[in-house]
Amino acid sequence: MRAVDTADIGPAGATGAPWRWRGRRDGPAVSGVRRWMLPAPAALVFTGLFVAPLAYFFVMSFWTKKAMRVVPELTLSNYIDVWQKYSGVMAATLGIAFATAVLTTLIAFALAYLIRFKAGRLGLPLLFITLLTLFGGYLVKIYAWKSILGKGGILNSALMALGIVEEPLTMLIYNPGAVIVTLTYFLLPLAVLPIYGSMRGIDDEIIEAARDVGARPLHAFRDIVFPLARPGTVAAFTLSFLVAVGDYVTPRFLGGPYTAMIGDFIEQQFSLRSNWPMGSAMSFSVLAASVLVVLLVGALLSYGSRR
Amino acid sequence: MSKALPNAVWSAFGALVVLFMLTPLVLVVLFSFGQSALTNFPMGGLTLDWYRALLANDTFWSAARNSAIVAISVGLVSTVVGTMAALALVRMPARYSQVLLHVVSFPIMLPALVIAVALMMFFVRMLGLPLGRPTVILAHLVITQPFVILVVHARMAGFDHALVDSARDLGASAVTAFFTITLPIVRTTIIGAALIAMAISLDDAIITSFTIGSGNTISTLVLSMVRTSLDPSINASATILIALTMGATLLALWSSRYRG
Repeated sequence: MRAVDTADIGPAGATGAPWRWRGRRDGPAVSGVRRWMLPAPAALVFTGLFVAPLAYFFVMSFWTKKAMRVVPELTLSNYIDVWQKYSGVMAATLGIAFATAVLTTLIAFALAYLIRFKAGRLGLPLLFITLLTLFGGYLVKIYAWKSILGKGGILNSALMALGIVEEPLTMLIYNPGAVIVTLTYFLLPLAVLPIYGSMRGIDDEIIEAARDVGARPLHAFRDIVFPLARPGTVAAFTLSFLVAVGDYVTPRFLGGPYTAMIGDFIEQQFSLRSNWPMGSAMSFSVLAASVLVVLLVGALLSYGSRR
Repeated sequence: MSKALPNAVWSAFGALVVLFMLTPLVLVVLFSFGQSALTNFPMGGLTLDWYRALLANDTFWSAARNSAIVAISVGLVSTVVGTMAALALVRMPARYSQVLLHVVSFPIMLPALVIAVALMMFFVRMLGLPLGRPTVILAHLVITQPFVILVVHARMAGFDHALVDSARDLGASAVTAFFTITLPIVRTTIIGAALIAMAISLDDAIITSFTIGSGNTISTLVLSMVRTSLDPSINASATILIALTMGATLLALWSSRYRG
């Protein structure tokens, strides 16, 4: 046998054995440099184009803008400004994102449950419909709801054509409800996936066994399905909350002047006002608040199901 | 479980959700063929005028060209880079690879706006790079790479490594073993991952609009059309955008024989 001399595409070391990065299950360990060749480009993208820009962005939140230029003078004034001027917008944003994430997670949970346990042969087609728009149509979905809910839009014109209303309804758009519906609409496929992923691993026999020993349907759900689906459910909530909190396109097109979200203001710091340090401080403030909310909800869900 | 809710409730819920998911998109496609310049009823007769107007427009073609160049580059690079990383991850014990899979997924969890402005400042101020197609491609690698790694890693987790071991025992080099054994088996998954990366790239408007400088992709073109809401070709361009992204996703599901 010749020695292993290149980074291999072979398997991990045998399970249970102390970990050495092996070229082959029974071969000698791959030399130090070569073991990093495979993941190196991905690590470069991750650190060079994700970690480094975010770190730079974070540092900038402590800088100042003077005479139309960004100056690296350390200050906390941006954060103080965010707190003083934008805490209302921030609270509204967190509220809208929370309502969206709760609604999305509930519908996604029910849909994933339907696909996994109730739909039988229709489960796969349902999953396909869900996945079809997962990787596309973000803007089209927002635009679709703008055209449906608008004053001269599809819903109003249909209602008037059918003689249900005389005048177009103005309450359909430019309010938090329209924003929440649109956000929920495009987040739903994203939220179904992790929940379905954790439900897929649930063994039908465990549930049957519980039923056989007399567990009622709701008890089997509470004691078996929900705890096993919890990681996916928390992931779905987290994803929907974080995406909703940072979206600026939806509030801009469906929110109207009284439903501003922080993303809208962040975007303006970079497009209109060019106050990058301020935009950066706003971003990290809302991210910090969001992480708190997500951790709190995760803790609540795990406390609720441990009892 | 079956008695907690009657089956009729589940059927009704399923039907409603499908209706909710599909109706808005169907309406956009429908109105792209309507004669009326406004997106409402009555839509008038059917016409291809909006597509003709769009296809006669140079702005659309330059956007389509940018979209194609960016999506193909992103698809190629992120698939190679992501597949390499996934191959490295499957060789690690689960307790390390699971943590790393979470770490590489961070870019999916952050709002696109945050990634967009952070990258724009990084490119412009830190690196002094001129914004354009190359910066868009670099930016898209960040959001597509996690999906490629997750998809390929999931497929490789059920992979029979004994095949590769045998090839190696018979004297194949690591590279030869990859191209003759591993690749033919996971090829469909890798093609699927590339198509998903392309769909994500084509779909993205937020990161693109911050990192492209001047110029458009189809996505940013649709964004500017929604913003001004003056151009009645918007339904046609929105339909083209969704046909491209959904088409790529369909192909990905079909080529990887996705079965849940």
